[in-house]
Amino acid sequence: MPLAYSLPSNLSPATVTNTSSLLRIIALSLISGAAIASRLFAVINFESIIHEFDPWFNYRATRVLAEKGFYEFWNWFDPTAWYPLGRVVGGTIYPGLMATSGVIYNVLHALHLPVDIRNICVLLAPGFSALTAWSTYMFTKEMKDESAGLLAAAFIGIAPGYISRSVAGSYDNEAIAIFLLMFTFYCWIKALKTGSAFFGTLTALFYFYMVAAWGGYAFITNMIPLHALALVLMGRFSSRLYVAYSSWYAIGTLASMQVPFVGFQPVRTSEHMAALGVFGLLQIVAFAELVRAHVSSKQFQSILYGSVIAIAVLGALAFGGLTYKGWIAPWTGRFYSLWDTGYAKKYIPIIASVSEHQPTAWPSFFMDLQFLIFLFPAGVVLCFRELRDEHVFVIIYAVVASYFAGVMVRLMLTLTPVVCVAAAVAFSSLLDTYLDPAEPAVSEAAALSAEADIAADSPASTSAAGTGAAASGTSKKAKKAASADSSSSGFGSGLAAAFSNKSDKSRGIFGLDTRSLVIANALGMLLFFVLHCTYVTQHIIDDFREAYYWLRQNTPKDAVVMSWWDYGYQIAGMADRPTLVDNNTWNNTHIATVGKAMSSSEEVAYPILRKHDVDYVLVIFGGLIGYSGDDINKFLWMVRIAQGVWPDEIQEPNYFTQKGEYRIDDAAPPAMKNSLMYKMSYYRFADLFGGNQAIDRVRGQQVPKTGPTLDHLEEAFTSENWIVRIYQVKKEDPLGRDLKSANAFEQGKKRKKSKPLVRRKAVV
Amino acid sequence: MTIFHRQRSQGMRFLRGLLLPLVALAGFAFARSSTGDSVLVLLDPSLDRDNFSIFFGDLEKQGYKLTFRSPKEAEPQIIKDDVAQFAHVIVFAPDTKSYAADITPQSLVSLLNKNTNLLLALSTKQTPITSLAAEFSLILPPPGTPLISHFPERDTPATIIPVEPPRAQSLVSSNLAPIWFSGVPQALGNNPMLVPFLKAPPQSFASDGDSDSGSDALVEAAEKGGEGLWAGSQLSLVTGFQTLKNARATWVGGIDMFTDEFFNKEVSKGKQSGNRQFARDVTAWTFQESNVLRIDTVEHHRVNETLPRETYTINDRVTYTAYISKFNPELDLWEPYSNIKDMQLEFTMLDPHIRTALPPVPGEPGKYSVTFRVPDRHGVFKFVVDYKRKGSTYLESTTVVPVVPPRHDEYPRFLSAAWPYYAGAISTSAAFVIFVALWLGGDEREPKKGKGAKAE
Repeated sequence: MPLAYSLPSNLSPATVTNTSSLLRIIALSLISGAAIASRLFAVINFESIIHEFDPWFNYRATRVLAEKGFYEFWNWFDPTAWYPLGRVVGGTIYPGLMATSGVIYNVLHALHLPVDIRNICVLLAPGFSALTAWSTYMFTKEMKDESAGLLAAAFIGIAPGYISRSVAGSYDNEAIAIFLLMFTFYCWIKALKTGSAFFGTLTALFYFYMVAAWGGYAFITNMIPLHALALVLMGRFSSRLYVAYSSWYAIGTLASMQVPFVGFQPVRTSEHMAALGVFGLLQIVAFAELVRAHVSSKQFQSILYGSVIAIAVLGALAFGGLTYKGWIAPWTGRFYSLWDTGYAKKYIPIIASVSEHQPTAWPSFFMDLQFLIFLFPAGVVLCFRELRDEHVFVIIYAVVASYFAGVMVRLMLTLTPVVCVAAAVAFSSLLDTYLDPAEPAVSEAAALSAEADIAADSPASTSAAGTGAAASGTSKKAKKAASADSSSSGFGSGLAAAFSNKSDKSRGIFGLDTRSLVIANALGMLLFFVLHCTYVTQHIIDDFREAYYWLRQNTPKDAVVMSWWDYGYQIAGMADRPTLVDNNTWNNTHIATVGKAMSSSEEVAYPILRKHDVDYVLVIFGGLIGYSGDDINKFLWMVRIAQGVWPDEIQEPNYFTQKGEYRIDDAAPPAMKNSLMYKMSYYRFADLFGGNQAIDRVRGQQVPKTGPTLDHLEEAFTSENWIVRIYQVKKEDPLGRDLKSANAFEQGKKRKKSKPLVRRKAVV
Repeated sequence: MTIFHRQRSQGMRFLRGLLLPLVALAGFAFARSSTGDSVLVLLDPSLDRDNFSIFFGDLEKQGYKLTFRSPKEAEPQIIKDDVAQFAHVIVFAPDTKSYAADITPQSLVSLLNKNTNLLLALSTKQTPITSLAAEFSLILPPPGTPLISHFPERDTPATIIPVEPPRAQSLVSSNLAPIWFSGVPQALGNNPMLVPFLKAPPQSFASDGDSDSGSDALVEAAEKGGEGLWAGSQLSLVTGFQTLKNARATWVGGIDMFTDEFFNKEVSKGKQSGNRQFARDVTAWTFQESNVLRIDTVEHHRVNETLPRETYTINDRVTYTAYISKFNPELDLWEPYSNIKDMQLEFTMLDPHIRTALPPVPGEPGKYSVTFRVPDRHGVFKFVVDYKRKGSTYLESTTVVPVVPPRHDEYPRFLSAAWPYYAGAISTSAAFVIFVALWLGGDEREPKKGKGAKAE
């Protein structure tokens, strides 16, 4: 049997195994190192600080946990959030992230390593990304082999779609959730393969951790039943499946109900019904198997048909009835928006207003996954070729996650792992094929049997030629040699051998030139991928911090700050001041109240502000330096959300011009010009241009020369680039006048003469 | 807010203990203002100080330190470095049209915001002060229209009117003789902060010309159905105004009522006018001697506890206590005051969830207390006392306190309603034990058979 290149022959199998496992360990640790290091750019370039919005809340909650202990955290009522409603934090969050940091903090302190809780929070996400790489390795190893696992680990370690959510300082639930997701899936596959109740329990435990950490746990809750259902429908029911699923469902559900925020949801909401239904189905199927073992097959057929129909009808009736009676909560709005992308915009603007909940744009698939997105289908096809139970899982996962990632930008994150796994399978098959030194034997026998082969095994001959993952045909002898040798290459290949099972013969690659061409090309792709992944830009505009520290230093501790909800967590975290609404958008009415205040005129807004004890109003304005994520651009959402609650007072069309344009210049409609948001954004803006035409750089429109005036608010602070503007709400006039005339008096304007009030009607 | 009250009250109690004997020794010679003794008198040079010798003499006798200044002089400034230099300012410059730079309507209003009290005199002329009056919801008749009354018949001109003092009003001494008045009346706007001291006689009206002979204006206005007519007892002659920050400003329709001449003028044979006592009463109110209240401190705690909690749990029973004092000008100290019968306490989150009477505690002077059940609603609540009555200091106190849901270990441990669940858990456990026992102790044949079946 010819070899394309010679292999050392004087190595004992033990040496080969040991060396390869050593190399694997080294490779894994390097991958972990790379995963961590690539997330530390921000810390090295700037400083160790929490980013963005949600992480600030998580950080604040973690500090409470670290300082006051778990029970205080559990019972934490935050009076500064959602002022004056307050927020029962302990019962409305997924505590997994904070608990993780708390445990790490306490362990380190028990070891006399006085690490600041902030640094733990900042570095948690990079740390867990290394664990994610490892769990992806374990998962992919179950799919194909170690070499594919290493590739998958490397991919997930630096995939931009995951990096963007787990850089140092983005201390968010997703940071640990992806690790938990992958590890739970790994445990599930392991449990399914071995039929071990131990691994089933392990799946349940990590499922519980996942439930405690991220609302996206519903993905697992539905993925595993879907997989189990698919296996049952494919006629692959086995006691292994039964044991794995039952132990996962029973323990996992009970455990998940211990999280206060989840509570009775697993038995009350539609999202969890699939898991319950499949659990029931498995019991029935298992029972049917038992019956089949005891009765003749003819009787069994009739029993089966009868009972299946009866059970299906009963189950559907029960489900419908319970939903109708309100025992099972109907699907939530967030869930509907997964099926109908227009749903949220129509009925729940608050969900649609989050940029993360928008449908994904096509380029972001490439930006987030680069060439993996092209390998992804190839990997899925390769899974079809073998189609063991775990491959079914990957296929289902791929289909479901692709759909969801297309619906919501945010769910890109759940797609990333499966893309990495599938791409790794495809890529490693490619490498296996082209690294395999065995060359096909050219003989008449081979030519003869080629026809038979096409007839017998057409998928093998037609599939995946483009990816170069065609099964490497080897003779039986060559196969033996290959399986002994291939592990020495460091990309140990069991699958190549498995593939070659189907055709004992031979199609393959001749010579070194083709090999090196393809391998070089593939390595080039990997290189570009790495370059793409490290191309991460970080914008930190200091205006935010400047403004939040101004609030912290210059306002009383209990001064209530009103802003749009996006900035609630940041104000609470960085400025430490009570806020009206924040990123935990649980109370639509309260948000609509803020929306109404922002979109109404001063006279209407002022009583709202006073009623809520608002001392300062904060707006984000990007018109000066062209920061497009500012409040004027979000303004229509405020209007829409307010309109949802007060349709008589706020109407979206009033904020557009006659032609339906969104304008801020002279042509802006009166409702727009009188709105508090407009006034606060453009107050004194035109003065900045010293008589020249003022231009809003975001909207590219000319701002009126005589800017708006404010009577009920006064400017308190404007940051360097005018991004953050803070206004103080005036108190009632001490003389009992309305603030408008009080202001006119201060400016020396003459008041109109008035006559005594007529106390009685004139008698004519 | 609370802390401020508490500290102040502790300080005051200490001071009270220290000062009481001293004050007693000093005697009860004069009354004092609760805010300070320094008074700036802006006296127009055209007015002779000697004409007001009794009025100013009375003030000095009360212990006020008067500083005189002409409106056009630059010194002494009323506000220096954003700090008010005097506790009270009397503006006796009814005809002055131009003032020094530091005196403008705006600066006078800012004085009020710095808790300086004002006593302002008006005249029939149009001056900056007249335009300021409009800011206080006073509606003045057009320039040159003094108050005129032809009743009762007397030997003085129609513009010099004896006015019956109000009866049954706590701000002015009772049983005063009629008060001589000459000047402009003020119609009152809808502002609830206005405190009229002296109402015009029902027969009086404001009319063109300093000396009214006919009644043309009256007839003309009557033909219009009373529109634009400044007439009758709805007009006020001396009007107090208490700002939201509790500074007081009093508008006097004419400066003549403070002159020695009017003080000594007889209203009827052998009966002196009530002007002197009335002037005393008006300055006492204006300079915050009389009707000055304050909340010393507020306390709140759970029933059967003494210290306040950081947070309360829903459905707690909570006691709220306020201590209120009234200023005693004779002794120059604050005394506990228990005579408020209609005060209310609100427990508010956005809207008052509880509004209840806050009655005085019998036997404990100055203490007002109420016990109530916290509503079954968590959130950031406020104890709000908002007591505003005409003429006396506004009492306002806001104490923020979060109301939280019960802690995880404050719920009942055992629920009889949960018996089905307990039974389910117990029976499942028992069944499991029995099953295991049967399985382990059972026949060997059974599992073998099962295995065989599976192998098929």
